[in-house]
Amino acid sequence: MILTGWEAVFFWVFSIAAIFAGLLTVMARNTIHSALFLISSLVSVAALFILLQAEFIAGVQILVYVGGVMVLFLFVIMLVNVGSEERGSEEIFNRPRQVTTSVIFCALLVAALISAVNAGYAGLENRDKNKIQTAAAQRLIRDKSLDKSATGASRITTDTQRMGSSLYRFASLPFEIASVLLLVAIIGSVMLARTLKQEAAVDDVDPDTLQKEVAHDLEPGEVQPKPVA
Amino acid sequence: MQFFMLKFFTPAFGLVFQEVTSGRFAVAWDKAQHPDLSKFLTIGALLFIIGVAGVLTRRNIIVIFMSIELILNAANLNFIALSRYLQDTGNMNAVAGQIFAVFVIVVAAAEAAIGLGIVIALYRNKETIWVDEIDILKW
Repeated sequence: MILTGWEAVFFWVFSIAAIFAGLLTVMARNTIHSALFLISSLVSVAALFILLQAEFIAGVQILVYVGGVMVLFLFVIMLVNVGSEERGSEEIFNRPRQVTTSVIFCALLVAALISAVNAGYAGLENRDKNKIQTAAAQRLIRDKSLDKSATGASRITTDTQRMGSSLYRFASLPFEIASVLLLVAIIGSVMLARTLKQEAAVDDVDPDTLQKEVAHDLEPGEVQPKPVA
Repeated sequence: MQFFMLKFFTPAFGLVFQEVTSGRFAVAWDKAQHPDLSKFLTIGALLFIIGVAGVLTRRNIIVIFMSIELILNAANLNFIALSRYLQDTGNMNAVAGQIFAVFVIVVAAAEAAIGLGIVIALYRNKETIWVDEIDILKW
């Protein structure tokens, strides 16, 4: 798997975009800006997936992450009040000492991970040298007989088809478990986001009982809410 | 002056020229023109670290959730890059990495839905999204 020519250029463009957008996600003062930078980071990583010839995952990434999860994030940001952070009256990071410790930890982690990746890949390359060379030679022969638009990352792969058949053949139980997980997540988030009034309406709670329960939770000076219908 | 420049600067230029054309810079430039698996893994590692830094340093619980999404996305990038590597080294049917990435996306979506539900419930009861003020389990 070695990218050449324009693919290499696109690799650098999208990976640098992904990393800068990720950094700005963490450092942006406005939470909405954070969400939009995260969207650009996710789109750049989807482009990297296309360079890796995984078109299905790239499409799923755009549809599910950018179209679903990030819109959910934006709605929640608009529901809660984050104006103080934006105006600058609230600190966006933890206390300086915690931030320093975290940054030192992350620097150590990045040094360790990058050296581990390079050393590990050197070993892997050494082990698979023959296979890589054979595959590259085969690909060169195959690409010569094809159009320019049918080589490299612009090639239409059969990966999606293969993935679908393996998903149902070898991973059907995890697939079903994932669907149950999504169902549970939907029900759980609906349950969590209900107000007291909605809860009472659904659960058929007696208004007097509910009133007592609410009054029990109140602070001494607080005003009692109206009885729930 | 001319002699001085020739005598002292030519070897330096020669050294720089040699370093650029055949030294480590040239090797690095050649490797940068042909990104392989290790470059993808490095990008994944950097995205992961940025996510970890966000989780550790930010106070806003929504931004912490976004950093978790970054971490999961970095894991996906590693899965797909290694799957492609396996396919290109002769193992034509290696799509397990891509299937795993689909499951990671599913779990990330479920996690985001539940987490944001918790954020809304918390905001309704405590009127705060700062993680250092959410301390009712502390003592």
